Amino acid sequence: MGHKRLNPARSVSHPPFHLWGCGESDSPESEATRIPLSPTQVRSATPASVWTPAEQKPSLGAAQGSLNSQREPAQQRPLRLEAPSRSAPSKGSTSCQRGRSGRARLHGDRSERRARGPSLDLSSGTRGKAPRLKNAALLGPGVLQATRIFHTGQPSLAPLPPLPEHGGKVRLGLIPEEFFQFLYPKTGVTGPYVLGTGLILYFLSKEIYVITAETFSAISVIGLLVYVVKKYGASIGEFADKLNEQKIAQLEEVKQASIKQIQDAIDTEKSQQALVQKRHYLFDVQRNNIAMALELTYRERLHRVHREVKNRLDYHISVQNMMRRKEQDHMINWVEKHVVQSISAQQEKETIAKCIADLKLLAKKAQAQPVL
Amino acid sequence: MNENLFASFTTPMMMGVPIVVLIIIFPSILFPSPNRLINNRLATVQQWLIQLVSKHMLSIHNYKGQTWALMLMSLILFIGSTNLLGLLPHSFTPTTQLSMNLGMAIPLWAGTVVMGFRHKTKASLAHFLPQGTPLPLIPMLVIIETISLFIQPVALAVRLTANITAGHLLIHLIGGATLVLMNINPVTALITFIILILLTILELAVALIQAYVFTLLVSLYLHDNT
Repeated sequence: MGHKRLNPARSVSHPPFHLWGCGESDSPESEATRIPLSPTQVRSATPASVWTPAEQKPSLGAAQGSLNSQREPAQQRPLRLEAPSRSAPSKGSTSCQRGRSGRARLHGDRSERRARGPSLDLSSGTRGKAPRLKNAALLGPGVLQATRIFHTGQPSLAPLPPLPEHGGKVRLGLIPEEFFQFLYPKTGVTGPYVLGTGLILYFLSKEIYVITAETFSAISVIGLLVYVVKKYGASIGEFADKLNEQKIAQLEEVKQASIKQIQDAIDTEKSQQALVQKRHYLFDVQRNNIAMALELTYRERLHRVHREVKNRLDYHISVQNMMRRKEQDHMINWVEKHVVQSISAQQEKETIAKCIADLKLLAKKAQAQPVL
Repeated sequence: MNENLFASFTTPMMMGVPIVVLIIIFPSILFPSPNRLINNRLATVQQWLIQLVSKHMLSIHNYKGQTWALMLMSLILFIGSTNLLGLLPHSFTPTTQLSMNLGMAIPLWAGTVVMGFRHKTKASLAHFLPQGTPLPLIPMLVIIETISLFIQPVALAVRLTANITAGHLLIHLIGGATLVLMNINPVTALITFIILILLTILELAVALIQAYVFTLLVSLYLHDNT
């Protein structure tokens, strides 16, 4: 009676340990292929007659008003069909125009996209101008001037023409270079100077210009002015240039900082995108880890189950063995007891006498034998 | 010497047409309005100057006083430019005319006083009586303070007129002296000419200072009354 060993077979069909990451790759394209519907497509899909806020208020009392408002978008719709490109800039114009034709503009958006063609939209433009005066003849002109609305159009976004680098060239600080060039073909280099000298001498000699007290004050003032300009002119010019440079440098710095920020953002985004591409490795490792842990736990449990079951079965076996042994012993004892009991005294005496007789016989035989 | 000493102070007429308005308007074209971010040198320097002056001049005012910034800045620019242009030969300076200076001073001063009376009536009336006067002197002091208040615009105008006119006159006189001394003794004429140069420098300074003083006093009156 040996002990039985049990090997419980695996009842659960466990799939083999699967390693992720072998030959699998995430497809980022699958996410990008979902293109959302653009609102224009959505809006153009709905027919104009279905959705109108004016048509959704069917009250008898306001039937007239709703009829009028229904007519208004209907009227404006063929207008808008003709006027697509002109109404686009006028969308950003006066607020009254925007407020008045707000509802119609929704229809206009759709119809704009349907038909495109250049033409003037005079009706919407004139609707946004100054209020019309009918019966105020006395106050008319004044009020008209006073209520003139400025800035009706959009400001010109074109850049101003650039300033020239240097001013026009002058000689003696007063006379432009072009004058010398003008006289050069006829009078050569010294022409303008001779002309100037001659004029001055002419004015002096003919007393067209009189030398008075003011002459000396003129000499002093203009002399002082020339001296100051010659001495400090360049430095003041440099100072002005420096002021402008500072302004530009500030703005340039802002621009560069903004560019750098955006560049940094782009780089960060790119690196993060790269990381996302390689993220599946991490997931595979994690999956592998978890699968291993699961397997380990499963096996552990299995082993425990096996052990427990074996323990219980061993117990039963040992109980059986013990019972059998006990029974055996008991039986032996019982048999012995009864045999011993069954031997009566007389039998015992007879047995003993028989044994003694046998012994004597044997002894005789034994005595007889070695003699041979 | 055809004309008298005060010929340069008459209202300029050209063939019977008074062009004094043109002369008054003329300095405004010397201050181009900057319509772009980076301007030419003239506009940049003017911009910088105006920023400097306005910062210093308006730092003492509260919010109500700082609404006068445009007025004060245009005042100082106008007076400064007309004074400086008046130093050129044969030019007419509008600020030598008392009429014009009164026309500038009285409205500005009256504006500050009326504003003070409207917004801080008690404080404006309290200006008439300095603190800590003994009781018997109060009526006389009130009268004196009233007189000093009403003399403010007159003082502003006359100060400016007198300074500029006196400067111009001195220049004329010394120039005339130089002219006459040229024939008699050129060396003395040279000395006189040097004096003239120094005087011109002084006049340049006076031109600017007077503008500054005018504007400063107006701003002071403003500060009292806001």
